[in-house]
Amino acid sequence: MLYIHQAVAISPQEIISNKLEVREPSYEGIPRNLLRRMGKSVRMGIGASAPLLRSSPRPVSGIVIGTGNGGTADSYSFLEQMKEYGESLLTPGSFAQSTSNAMASQLSMMDQNKNYNLTHVHRGLAFEMALLDVSLLSLEDVSAFYLLAGVDELSPSNYALDEMEGWYPPETIAGEGASAFLVSGQAQDATAAVRAVATLHTTDVEVVRERLRKFLATHLPEGERISCFVCGENGDARLNGYYKACEGLMDRDTSVLPFKRLCGEYPTASAFALWLAHHKLSGAQNYLIYNIYKGRQHGFILLTGIPR
Amino acid sequence: MDNTELKQQLKEQVIQFLNLTSLKPADIADNEPFFGEGLGLDSIDSLELIVLLNRMYGITIKDPKEGRKVLVDIETMADYIEKHRTK
Amino acid sequence: MKRVFITGMGVISAIGNTVTENHSALKNRVCGITMPPHSSPDLSQVPLAEVSSSNQLLRERLQVFDPAVTRTTLLALHAFREAVQDAGLTAEQISSDHTALIGGTTVGGMSQSDELYRDVSERYAASPFLSSYDCSSVFMFLQEQYRMKGIIDTINTACSSAGNAIGFGMRLIRSGLAGKAIVGGADSLSKFTISGFNALHILSPEICRPFDRSRQGLNLGEGAAFLVLEGEDEIGPNKKIYAEVRGYYNASDAFHPTSLSANGEGPYLAMQGALGTAGLRAGDVDFINAHGTATENNDESESRAMIRVFSEPPPFASTKSNTGHTLGAAAALEAVYSLLSLEHQEIYPSLHFSAVIPGTELQPVTTYYRSPLRHVMTNSFGFGGNCVSLIFSKS
Repeated sequence: MLYIHQAVAISPQEIISNKLEVREPSYEGIPRNLLRRMGKSVRMGIGASAPLLRSSPRPVSGIVIGTGNGGTADSYSFLEQMKEYGESLLTPGSFAQSTSNAMASQLSMMDQNKNYNLTHVHRGLAFEMALLDVSLLSLEDVSAFYLLAGVDELSPSNYALDEMEGWYPPETIAGEGASAFLVSGQAQDATAAVRAVATLHTTDVEVVRERLRKFLATHLPEGERISCFVCGENGDARLNGYYKACEGLMDRDTSVLPFKRLCGEYPTASAFALWLAHHKLSGAQNYLIYNIYKGRQHGFILLTGIPR
Repeated sequence: MDNTELKQQLKEQVIQFLNLTSLKPADIADNEPFFGEGLGLDSIDSLELIVLLNRMYGITIKDPKEGRKVLVDIETMADYIEKHRTK
Repeated sequence: MKRVFITGMGVISAIGNTVTENHSALKNRVCGITMPPHSSPDLSQVPLAEVSSSNQLLRERLQVFDPAVTRTTLLALHAFREAVQDAGLTAEQISSDHTALIGGTTVGGMSQSDELYRDVSERYAASPFLSSYDCSSVFMFLQEQYRMKGIIDTINTACSSAGNAIGFGMRLIRSGLAGKAIVGGADSLSKFTISGFNALHILSPEICRPFDRSRQGLNLGEGAAFLVLEGEDEIGPNKKIYAEVRGYYNASDAFHPTSLSANGEGPYLAMQGALGTAGLRAGDVDFINAHGTATENNDESESRAMIRVFSEPPPFASTKSNTGHTLGAAAALEAVYSLLSLEHQEIYPSLHFSAVIPGTELQPVTTYYRSPLRHVMTNSFGFGGNCVSLIFSKS
């Protein structure tokens, strides 16, 4: 069981055309010298994570990040430079920032944290994989604290590619954000617990339904129910079949919370879903998060509140 | 262009190249060290400044270690530019 | 704790298209790094270690003609096939929901840098590459080809990516979330990466010289490698086993985005940590396949770290002198080479070495020889200070 102690989200606050864009905070407490070099996704990720690192009872034993598009904006800047100036004598800054693990390594430098550090980049399941990774770590050392985050920015280059591929029909809004969590293997002082996470790659509705059925049978304790179905539906009608099938396994009185209305669509939107679920649940409720990315990657997260 | 103008221009360019968004040219003293205690730049910044010298002034420094001797502060950088610029 | 073993391997690199070819090349001091000009007009005027097969040849051999499949993915598929065949995995076993696929890559589909620029700047909606550019495209393709229902993941921690992929696969098996894991990495040469490394001034204008006092930087290479890992309870009585994954540790140098601290703190912690997880002492390690990129910074920091851990380090060598630096694939290629050493009880020489780095007095192995080996360590240190150390043990 992975316990959540604190959670921070930097999430969109305004809609510009059909994109939900983050209005960035002032990033108090983060050295200007480091901020200047960072692209937006790294800034957001650091902005969400740094406060948690500061308030952790002890230095975290691991920093684990999930990002689907992390690094792409900087990669594209570097490509633009290559086109403009040829391949000789280019400034290395954006290249150095373009590795997906730039954010995780900046955090380790800022915090002088020499422990486990990993960046998962498996697109729409990057956050679920980071969550799984941290869950395994927490079993190895129950007293340790870990920083877990899911971060993606809405860069023009990523938006262009996804839009051309047809992932933004008129009803779907693109988004971005950074959600970070201070987690551990111990229940004391925790506010919620992730009971389980599952992932699959499929376009078969029946396979998804069966997987969720097994997931709930295995991880939802006997006699308990799902209070809220935190649902990743994003307006794309092609995905309705999956969401309907999974909603069909809920109770009649399970409420439905379509989180992408608040954060938009991006690969690690499920990190925002976890933040939102953590924020909203009260008492010993069970919230089930179900997210789909680009019709093929599916993730389930079961979150339970810890009554205070 | 006289030396004062060059130094002013150089400060603007350094700020732009290194994205020192919290600084204005007036905030950078002519003799404020780039590395260590002054502006606190690092080795990636020195590579970026070498590119600045090339793109803006046509000066090529092949070895980054040579670069560190020139890239001490605005004063030394401006003097070097005056002697070696081709643009 | 459940023991995890390696039952299959596959590799493609500048020194061969199979494990056998790579093995022979290592024994015979074959260097796959060549001076320009290179086969592709895209590749620039620095020494590079190219895989000899063109994309066309790879496509014909693999029977994959979808243009969306980039070179990195083709290399990955090639090595994946060899590994699963070597392990004797059936199609059902590969697609089982208890078989994981964990891969590392830094380039992904960015080998198509020109196309990415075109697609975005010209809004070229008909491009076949729209979802091919990211790192995960490589392993999403393998998942789909083999209809894999288990845990699939892509890791990018720069030059240590595949090392972390191997470690994560091992941990999934130990936790019971997978019974088998196919783990490794792939990267192909790209204008983008060459330009980037060039801008950082860490590419050598000559063939690289790991651990040599006159070293001038690294040579980029390309390749892919996979290992098949299986939990001890999954392995039948007659199954061939190469070795055990005995130790894995990940530590951060926390010093600088692209260089290591002078005393090699991250590498030191990673090596110490791996020994700890393996339950071994420094003196138990018989050979180290070093990261040894031949940059001024890495080799000195790595040497200092080895001295701190071992006082007198065991024999060590850098196979990057044969294959160049294959970035996200490096740790996987080097895992295969470490396993070959263990299997054949032999040590392959580090090439292009003539004089020690002053202050370290550490000399890599320079001639091939046979030696009893029980435990081999392999290290990979990435940008961002991500340091990984793995230990394989003869079983």
